[in-house]
Amino acid sequence: MKRNIIRCLTQSLLLASSVALMVCRLEAADLNLFGTNMPPLDFHGFVSQGLLYSSTYNYLAPNTASGSLEFFEAGLNVSMNPFPRTHITAQGFMFDVGNVGQYDPVLDYALVDYSFSDAFGIRAGRIIRPQGIYNTIQSIDLARTWVLLPQGMYDCRWRDFDGSLDGGSIYGDIGLSKAGDLSYELYAGMTDIADNGGIARSVQNMFNNPPVTSFTGMGNNAAVYGGQLWWNTPVDGLRAGIAGFISRGLSYDYRVNPPFGPGATTGFVDANPEIQGSLEYLWKNWTFQAEYKYVDYKFHSEVGGKTVPNTSVDLDSDTWYAGAAYRVNKWLEVGSYYTEDYPNMANRNGQGTAVPSDAYQKDLALSFRFDPKPWWVFKIEGHYIRGTALLEDNANNPVRNGDGWFMLAVKTTFSF
Amino acid sequence: MKSFLLKIGLLTALLVACAFSAQALDGAVVIANSSVAADSLSAEDLKDIYTGKTKYWDNGQAIIIVVLPDKTDAALQQASGMDGSQFKTFWQRLMFSGRGSEPKKANDAAALVALVASTKGAIALVPDDTELKGVKEIEIK
Repeated sequence: MKRNIIRCLTQSLLLASSVALMVCRLEAADLNLFGTNMPPLDFHGFVSQGLLYSSTYNYLAPNTASGSLEFFEAGLNVSMNPFPRTHITAQGFMFDVGNVGQYDPVLDYALVDYSFSDAFGIRAGRIIRPQGIYNTIQSIDLARTWVLLPQGMYDCRWRDFDGSLDGGSIYGDIGLSKAGDLSYELYAGMTDIADNGGIARSVQNMFNNPPVTSFTGMGNNAAVYGGQLWWNTPVDGLRAGIAGFISRGLSYDYRVNPPFGPGATTGFVDANPEIQGSLEYLWKNWTFQAEYKYVDYKFHSEVGGKTVPNTSVDLDSDTWYAGAAYRVNKWLEVGSYYTEDYPNMANRNGQGTAVPSDAYQKDLALSFRFDPKPWWVFKIEGHYIRGTALLEDNANNPVRNGDGWFMLAVKTTFSF
Repeated sequence: MKSFLLKIGLLTALLVACAFSAQALDGAVVIANSSVAADSLSAEDLKDIYTGKTKYWDNGQAIIIVVLPDKTDAALQQASGMDGSQFKTFWQRLMFSGRGSEPKKANDAAALVALVASTKGAIALVPDDTELKGVKEIEIK
């Protein structure tokens, strides 16, 4: 009860602050609150509201087959440069995608950044980890063409795992003379996994199978470390990247209810190495992008500290996409991408499984982005999808097959 | 034959030299706040600033980029390798991920010059027919 009241107050404060700042000043607000000797505080923020409508399945929210407005994001960002070579910044954020997020305010990041030189800097605090083109800005609708990023790679429900970590990073940019330059960032820290986050909902989907099994909650947070390397080539606008990521120690609790099993059980994600390759080319009014990600999932379960036989799972998973966007004029951008996702590379068509379409998801998207004002973005996007690998909501999609289906995503964002 | 090869060689050398030599910005000059110590920058230095790789001047002062949307797009493309829309998106990505400060915007050339004049560490591209008052012009080598 007390937690709900605090949550409600914090949500209201965040929302009220965003609205107040937007109403007062739509341009970035420099607030010199402490007199002329203090460096100004720089405020920015955004509020996004979307609509999801799907033809066959309920995807991302429990009721998209009849249209869902459970698709919301808001953030408030403040930053300052108080000392030479020092940048301090923080962002509050809340979102709702179906039953994930649920408007709970979170600290997206809060960090101190000290740059010794262009080649070496340090960030410490809560940071957003870099991975590929979009991981750092998954939540920022206005900074991309698409409403929905390729979901196999950037699942909008998994932000508590994919986004922030408490720890630090080192970063920099090393010139390679006429061969361009290399940008790097290496990080380490701990994630903060929410019980209403994407991973929790995914595990819940697997184990909410009464009376045999039931999901209890998330256990230990994961230690994560990795890095991102970008080669900015001598060709203007062309860059290539490679990212590596490992998480360890993540656990979740579930019950295999008697008489079917031992009762309280703990599942462990033993190691979760990921490798992601990226290519981006900005040419005239065009943006071309392609990325590939490989993930090695390893799980086992324990009861009373002992491994339960036959619970060890080792799955190789991959996903990729290629897309292009064209800026037609100041207020219109058109883009399209095609993406495929395979949770188990060893069985890409689900042969021999109970629901073969759960083995893949292939998505062709067409997006229109309108910028009527510098502070207002409106997007409409259609998806033609085959496969059901990413639904992760068996309760609301009891019958699944490989027939094609459609999804419409509409979103509008206001920012300052 | 020798003379022909020599001419081809000279022409190639000239083209390569042009490709890597300093390029004047189309219809724009670079200005900075008077607190900025630098009087000149290389084209590479300017690109590093406009692509967020260099965020501080040599004395540690934060670099504040000021832009004039739609008026200096050709020069912005030369300076950053991005058009106006790509540049805006690029900096929104940096700013909303805690990796930089979004460039400030001015509505017209006079307002841009005034903003650069009053903002420590500021740098901007301004149309070359703008009256410059209270700012310093930075030579691009």
